[in-house]
Amino acid sequence: MPLLTTEIVPGLVSGGASCRMDADVAPKFKVGDKVQAININPTSHTRLPRYIRGKTGTVTRDHGVFAFPDTSTSGVHQDPQHVYSVRFEGEELWGADANANSSLYIDLFDNYLVPA
Amino acid sequence: MAHDHNHNAPPSDTAMRVKALETLLTEKGLVDPAAIDSLVELYETKVGPRNGARVVARAWTDPDYKARLLEDGTAAIAELGFSGVQGEDMVVVENTDDVHNMVVCTLCSCYPWPTLGLPPVWYKSAPYRARAVSDPRGVLDEFGVTLPDDMEIRVWDSNAELRYLVLPSRPAGTENMSEDELADLVSRDSMIGTAVVDTPAS
Amino acid sequence: MNGIHDLGGMHGLGPIDREADEPYFHEKWESRVFGLFFANFAQGHFNVDQFRHAIEHMAPAEYLNTSYYEHWLHAFERLLDEKGIVTAEELDRKQAELTAGGA
Repeated sequence: MPLLTTEIVPGLVSGGASCRMDADVAPKFKVGDKVQAININPTSHTRLPRYIRGKTGTVTRDHGVFAFPDTSTSGVHQDPQHVYSVRFEGEELWGADANANSSLYIDLFDNYLVPA
Repeated sequence: MAHDHNHNAPPSDTAMRVKALETLLTEKGLVDPAAIDSLVELYETKVGPRNGARVVARAWTDPDYKARLLEDGTAAIAELGFSGVQGEDMVVVENTDDVHNMVVCTLCSCYPWPTLGLPPVWYKSAPYRARAVSDPRGVLDEFGVTLPDDMEIRVWDSNAELRYLVLPSRPAGTENMSEDELADLVSRDSMIGTAVVDTPAS
Repeated sequence: MNGIHDLGGMHGLGPIDREADEPYFHEKWESRVFGLFFANFAQGHFNVDQFRHAIEHMAPAEYLNTSYYEHWLHAFERLLDEKGIVTAEELDRKQAELTAGGA
């Protein structure tokens, strides 16, 4: 358990702590796929917000393989999987009250998605 | 939860609690206060939106760099040396004549520290986090930015570990400016997406 | 969890107050809290996900009525107490001691 000292500070700040994981995991989806965010309501940690659950969008980018945040609360980075930039149209999320010509992009993991 | 804005007043409860925590951790050999001093100094003096402005100015003047930046933000930003904590994995999104981008973190306050510094209070506040995703045009109106209805607005919710930087549109009338002069025009808010970069007054 | 932190789409939270040219830290204690995150993280007492989840457990009214760095402080207290590194009792005692000592 290293004590943070003045000497360590610059390297820690410039190096950071990426949550990317070097794991050879196949993606479930590809760019262009229509996907639906699952409807979960865990009392544990999740990065799937309520306003996205159950909604349908389109995969626009595959960011690669990252640790799954929902289970990283164990203290260990685990469940490496692909995370995608998924686009949702404004009306899909907010109905008739959505802004005109608006869209929302959010980063969703394989575990949050099913094919739509 | 008192906020002590009067520096002649006794320390607030919160200030004392933080002092108690830091003191205990130091007594237990778990914290070196000098390291905290150097961290604070590093962020206050070296980590700020001027870094992001340099990225933008480079993209405006170098089309190949811009292409690399949009394809792989992490690598292109690293070329200029602005990598690090809360900026390990970057995505840069481009404003055009047809599209305006705005960034938020609805779940907490994720923000690209190495390029923009530490986020302003408004970015971390409940009203911004709530409304940026459901009424971005209304939020932009509050910021004094009116977009035509036929311009698409894209909001990016930074819910995972990717951090987002908006590449604002280069304004007209800047054709003869140097990279440094261009960087001077780029505000922090324009790289969050709650402002645009206006044509400089001559 | 379906906590107060999951704010996307909520109404009724008021206008977005902005301050021109604001400093990173409005009070000195905020800068110490900022540094303490790195120190505790480096020591391995928690990771970012645990830190966020600790904040998510705040009572909703308290979450909305306290500042960003007060949220961080809440997380430190909860996580360090859970791990027995700094217990709530120790912290209360030290705070009382420092306050009485007029520090």
